[in-house]
Parts: sequence; structure tokens; C-alpha cells
Amino acid sequence: MATLDGAVKDYGSKRIGPISFTVESGEIMGFLGPNGSGKSTTIRMLLGLIRPTSGSVRLMQKDPISQHEKALADVGYSPELPNLQTFLSPAELLTLTGRLRGLDRRATEDEIPHLLEDVGLTEYEGYKISRLSKGMVQRLSVAQAMVGAPKVLILDEPTIGIDPAGAVHFRSLFREFVRNGGTIVMSSHILSEVEALCTSLAVIHSGSVVYRGELQKFIPTWVGSRTVSIELGEAADDGLIQALSKVKGVTKLTAEKANLLIEVSKDSDPRGEISRLVIDSGAKLLSMGYSRDELQDAYVNSMRGTTE
Amino acid sequence: MRPGRILALSRYEIRRAVARRKVLAVVALTILIDTAPYYALAAAGTSLIPATYHPFLWVVGIFIPQAFFLQFIALLIAAGSMSEEYEQGTAEVLLSKPVTRREYFLGKYLGGYILLMLVVALNAVLTVSSATFIFGPQAGLQVLPLVLLVQVFSGLVFYSVAFMIGELVRRSSLSYILSSAVFFTSQIVGVYLTVIYDLTGQAMFKTASLYLPTSPVDSLPLLLAEPRLPDTVQFLFKLGDVGAVETSAVLSAVLIALYSVSAIVIAVTYFSRVDIAKRIT
Repeated sequence: MATLDGAVKDYGSKRIGPISFTVESGEIMGFLGPNGSGKSTTIRMLLGLIRPTSGSVRLMQKDPISQHEKALADVGYSPELPNLQTFLSPAELLTLTGRLRGLDRRATEDEIPHLLEDVGLTEYEGYKISRLSKGMVQRLSVAQAMVGAPKVLILDEPTIGIDPAGAVHFRSLFREFVRNGGTIVMSSHILSEVEALCTSLAVIHSGSVVYRGELQKFIPTWVGSRTVSIELGEAADDGLIQALSKVKGVTKLTAEKANLLIEVSKDSDPRGEISRLVIDSGAKLLSMGYSRDELQDAYVNSMRGTTE
Repeated sequence: MRPGRILALSRYEIRRAVARRKVLAVVALTILIDTAPYYALAAAGTSLIPATYHPFLWVVGIFIPQAFFLQFIALLIAAGSMSEEYEQGTAEVLLSKPVTRREYFLGKYLGGYILLMLVVALNAVLTVSSATFIFGPQAGLQVLPLVLLVQVFSGLVFYSVAFMIGELVRRSSLSYILSSAVFFTSQIVGVYLTVIYDLTGQAMFKTASLYLPTSPVDSLPLLLAEPRLPDTVQFLFKLGDVGAVETSAVLSAVLIALYSVSAIVIAVTYFSRVDIAKRIT
């Protein structure tokens, strides 16, 4: 769907790249990196808005600069902090987008109500965009990216400014898009959103890709150890703590009343054994899972270039 | 290139230009300047003007704005056309669609130019109706379609130059300033060259003034209209310094085409080779 092969953008004072990665069909690829790392430049090279100084970029197997029309025919883009045409209404903007995507008037008119409903803007159809809130403009930006049922969505911070309920709704909208055969490239700083939605990651730092692969493999790559968090119905007895400490792969155990934090080596996954021991001890297991901050830890470590 | 997309972008450009109040303000001012003199004359008493001129007073409203306001409106429409899209960050939204850069450029160029045509047509309708309403039926109007056509053609020079500057500098305020500077400098230099020619009698100053961009723009509509109107109208052409410089219609048309095409070629070449910047603040 999208390939960058040693793509470099040299701004003179700053150089981004060489960047190489491929996005396969059906992926939801999270694109992570600190501000100024080159995420937007990469996205803009993919969209044919800027030319790579060297290397090559392909979108839908086409050069997005010389074959812009064909490369972008099945691609929708929602920019970060979208600057939409404030003098138009949402319906007018979507109509314009439909025309630019080559849809006829009838097809566009049929699609607009569904898109506005999908993003929760039906009742604002006729408002001028200048009167919409930031979150509504963000919703509209996603809607305009989805006009004409593209196969690929490139989303730059798609849920920024959107309320939590809206963000949850958008996640299900994006999952449905992928279930229907779509592919998503999504840049975001909201790690929980990336963790909840993405199947793979590309992490960029100082203009270079430091990780490209499955999301689940990113965490073990960039953390020295993982932490299993357990919540019991009551405080664990010494026997259980002793037994858990002896499980293969467990390096450290901290018990605080009914909560246990078990540090395990990154190459092992002793969750099955741990849960069996807890249940056999007769304790009530309320919850168990890897620590929620793991992606953040791994991301921070990948930026530092260390697993510590 | 797909005509449907170019048309959609042209319509969009007209909406965008109209949404900018400064363009509307200048259009309103032009209309006022076109029609107010007729109503002022009516207030003063139509009998003050010799009756022989009454059927040709439409000439005043059509030609007086040509030299200044129509060019200035052309400039105002075009100067922000590309640059404001960069400043507002809307260029990247439009160009991330399956739209080629040529379609985008052409759509916006044509849209603004259609708006300019509409302003010229509105100016003509208001002028002729005001002159008819106050001074009775107007004569010689068979020349009007040709004059309007030539006015629209003449407007190409500063429209294209301002469009080019907008693309090159990508800052609207700078684009307005530079485009206006080109226009006013050409007008002022033209006046100076004519004065020097009058004082020295040296033909080179006169010749130089003919090649300034304002010269063919001001001259062509008059050069084509004057021979087709009765002698009595010549006096009206002198009003408000309306008078063609001595040059041929062909040379004027060639110069207009040359200036316009050069500006378009430069703008297209630059636009097709340079990156689309993120929002410029």
C-alpha cells in the first residue's frame, strides 16, 4: 500500500531520513515519534506534497509526485489540526471533496448524510465551518478523508480535540474501515489510543526509523523486563508469594496488600503459570495483565536508545 | 486533466474570493464610482450637459474604471488566490486529493478570472442602466460587447502578474504589496516618461512608456472603441484623462498576451516544482 525506500528530505538546516518501511494492506500502523522527528515530513512525502531529496516513495504502487492522481485515487488524508475552508459548510466541503475525488453529484449527495452521521455532525450540516468547535472540525476532517470510500486512510493525530466518547466512537469507525478491507496509517501522540487501535508501529526519532513491526513485539524490544500487575480479592499469603517468586522468568515480586507487581524477564510470558498458582491457592483473582504503562516505557526507551 | 475537477475548483475559488470581504469592498467601491457620477449629474441637473452627449454618456462609466479600478480588482482577486491557501493551510487539504497540480492551478486561475469577468459585466450593466435611467436611451452600444471582451482580456496582465507573485512569495500581504507596487510603479513611470518625452522630444522615452504593462492595458479598449463611435464621443474620452496612448491595437494585444503568458509560465513552473508548504504563519 505504501513504501518508503531510503527516502530523505533535506531541508538544508535539517535532514529527515533515510526512512524505509512498508505498510501492508489491512494494517493499522501507528506512527510514533516526538515533535519534529519527521512524522509530518514522512506523511507529506507519501501524499506527494513534498519531494524526497533522494530515495523513493510509493503509494498504491505509484509515485505520488509524478502519478499524483493515480496514487491518491484511493487515499484519504486527515491533516493534523486541520485547516479547513471556514467559509464552507460541512456539506459543501464534503461535496467539494467528492467532486475532487471524481464522484458524480448523485454519488456525493448520497454519501454525505452517511458520513456526517458517522462523525456525529448531522445537525451541523449547514453551519459554516468557522462556527464549529475544534473537535467538530477534527470530526469533519476525518469525514472528508473518508469521502469516496478510499482504501487507505492517512490520519495525522485524528482524535486530537475530540471528547473521550467521540474518540471511542472513532476507534470503532476505524476498526470497521479496516474490517471492510481498508488500511490505516495513523500518527498520534496518544499512546493509549495507539495501543487500543494499532496492529503495528513505526517509531521515528531524529529523522530515522528506530522500530518498524508489530505493536506486541515493540514492548519486549524496548523494555528490559515486563511487569505483570495482579489484583486479588484479599492480601496474598506468604505461601502464594513464595510460589510466585519461584516461577521461571519472575525476577522480582512486590506485594502491597491485595496488589502484586511481578517483574518478569522480557523473553518469558509466565502469565498462565501465575494465574494457575493464584487459583490453586484459593485466592480470588480479580484482574491480571501487563502494566498499562509498558508502551510508554518502551516508547521512551526507544527514544533514548536504551532498554533501561 | 479532468474538466469536472477544474470546474469544481473554479467554483470553489469564486466562493473563496467572494468570502474575502476586501474583494467585495473594492467591487462595491467600483460600482459606486461607476454609478455615482450619473446620479451626481442628475442632482446637478441633466440640462447642464449638452444634449448631443446624452446618448453616449455610458462611455464615461465604462472607460473611467478601466484604467484603475478594474486592474486593481484583478490584482486583488489574484494576489491572494494561491498565497492565502498556503497561509490558511488549505492548499495541502486540496492537494492531498487526487488532483493534479495543473488542475489545481488552472481551476483557481479560471475561477478568479471568471469572477473578474462577472465584475466587468456587472460594471457594464450598472453603467448603461444608470446612464439610460438618467440621460435617456443610449446609442453606440453595439460596441459594448467588444469593449467588455477587450477589458476582460486587458485585465489578464495584472491578474496574471498578481497570481504569479502570490505563488512565488506565498504570503498574501507581501503579494498584495508587491503586486500593487508593480501596478503603481508602471503607472507612475509611464507618467514620468511621458513628461520627459514632452520636455525633451526624444522618442525613446515615448517608446519606453509604450512597453510598460499599464500602457497596453489602458490603451487597447480605447483603441478598439474610438473608431467605432461618432466623433462627438471623443470629447468624453478626454474626461478623467481617458485617452489612448499612441500605439497600435495589435502591439497592445501582443504586449498583453506576452506579459500574461510570461507570468503564467513562471507561476506554473514554480508551482509544479516546489513543495507544498505546511500552513505558513
